[in-house]
Amino acid sequence: MATDGVLGRHELQRFYADHHRWLHGWLRRQLGCRDNAADLAQDTFVRLLAREQDLRAIREPRAYLHAIARGLLLNHWRRRRIEQAYLEALAARPEPCAPSPERRALIIEALLEIDRLLSGLPEKARRAFLLSQLEGLTYAAIGAELGVSERMVKKYMAQAMFACLNVEPLAEGDL
Amino acid sequence: MNPRALQQAAEWFAVLQSGQAGEAEHRAWRRWLERSAEHRQAWARVERISGQFQALSQDATARAAGRGLSGPSMGRRRMLKTLCVAGGAGVLGTLAGPACRDWMADERTAVGEVRALTLADGSQLWLNTDTALDIRVAAEGPHLILRRGELLLESAAEARIHVSARDAELAGSGARMALYQGDGESRVSLYEGALRLSLTARPGVVEEAMPGHELLFDSARLLGSGPAAAGARAWATGVLLADHLRLDDFVAQLGRYRRGYLGCDTRIAGLRVVGAYPLADTDRVLDILAGTLPIRVNRRLPWWVSLEPAAA
Repeated sequence: MATDGVLGRHELQRFYADHHRWLHGWLRRQLGCRDNAADLAQDTFVRLLAREQDLRAIREPRAYLHAIARGLLLNHWRRRRIEQAYLEALAARPEPCAPSPERRALIIEALLEIDRLLSGLPEKARRAFLLSQLEGLTYAAIGAELGVSERMVKKYMAQAMFACLNVEPLAEGDL
Repeated sequence: MNPRALQQAAEWFAVLQSGQAGEAEHRAWRRWLERSAEHRQAWARVERISGQFQALSQDATARAAGRGLSGPSMGRRRMLKTLCVAGGAGVLGTLAGPACRDWMADERTAVGEVRALTLADGSQLWLNTDTALDIRVAAEGPHLILRRGELLLESAAEARIHVSARDAELAGSGARMALYQGDGESRVSLYEGALRLSLTARPGVVEEAMPGHELLFDSARLLGSGPAAAGARAWATGVLLADHLRLDDFVAQLGRYRRGYLGCDTRIAGLRVVGAYPLADTDRVLDILAGTLPIRVNRRLPWWVSLEPAAA
């Protein structure tokens, strides 16, 4: 509701008119796809609006838009990578299996969240945690798989959980 | 949150998850848990994270895709091999008994969606727009965990109610109640029956909700109380009920059911809205408003709509 106070309606419209075509063009070159570029360009302006910035105070509008769009682009690629992994796993199933689009969306969202939680961890701690939590392997089995002692596995588990606990909860619409 | 409490919670998690913790360790863990509210909060977060993995571990395809998160070193051969490994008991199963693991569901509604559900014990549940809820079936009955949004619950006669939310734990039986979790605070409305709530940050203190009343609270204290608003549960039937509501409040509520920005000029914010409006078509609601109030709908961009004075 503060939109009228902080952003003059004319400023945003002008900002949009001045930069939208450039932003869309840049995103299209990055993505090689017109529709996704249009979506991300729109998301970029929504983010801009959500920040309730005074647009007149932005000195380098294109650098500013570029920074927002780049963050959105990285998330987009991360999501693509995970969607790809999910599709490959689906294709590798021994029996045919067709989850509903809704279920697929939920799982991909959950995978993204897990990827986010574990992203800062060293490789072995991350694998130990996934083997335990997703595969249900015992610490002994994980130790054998990773070539470390059970004591070390327990350390990895604590380290990984601590890292997850320290990741900020997701803000609305950050993916 | 206290990093030391989080560190200890993570270490307890690693101990209990090993599957080799004995009676003595479980007792020590319980003592740790009982020692402070910070410990309990830290543990609640451990359970939330563990629950996310647990939900995924029950889907074979998700497990396989999750292996991709381990980086490129895992080959396809191993991926196929590990597909056959069954999911083991998680920490929640070990601690809270096997019933807790029987069934675990994530229910979510999209922006603008309202959904009705029937629980295993016959209770009726409605989820409002943009709501996320976990349902766990325990021996004593369903345990609802509200992650985001709003729910309305009409429990079957005598059925036990157990709802966990960000700011409070709610317990009761045979009640009709609504719970809304806003940005910084929560609101519970009790229409019938009995309900007790204990705030997350003050687990020892129990507040009693009165039928026909609503309580406003955050995790540490009660912020207010009053008669339950008549319109507060109309959404379950797909209607936004306005009983002399200020236009800016109405717009804030309507905005929960649509994507993009919906703004309201301060000059018309105090106009009063009366009526029942269909939530399924918020654009039509805006047009109805423009037909009855001295306002106009300015659709600046598809995702940016403002209500302005008609004469502007």
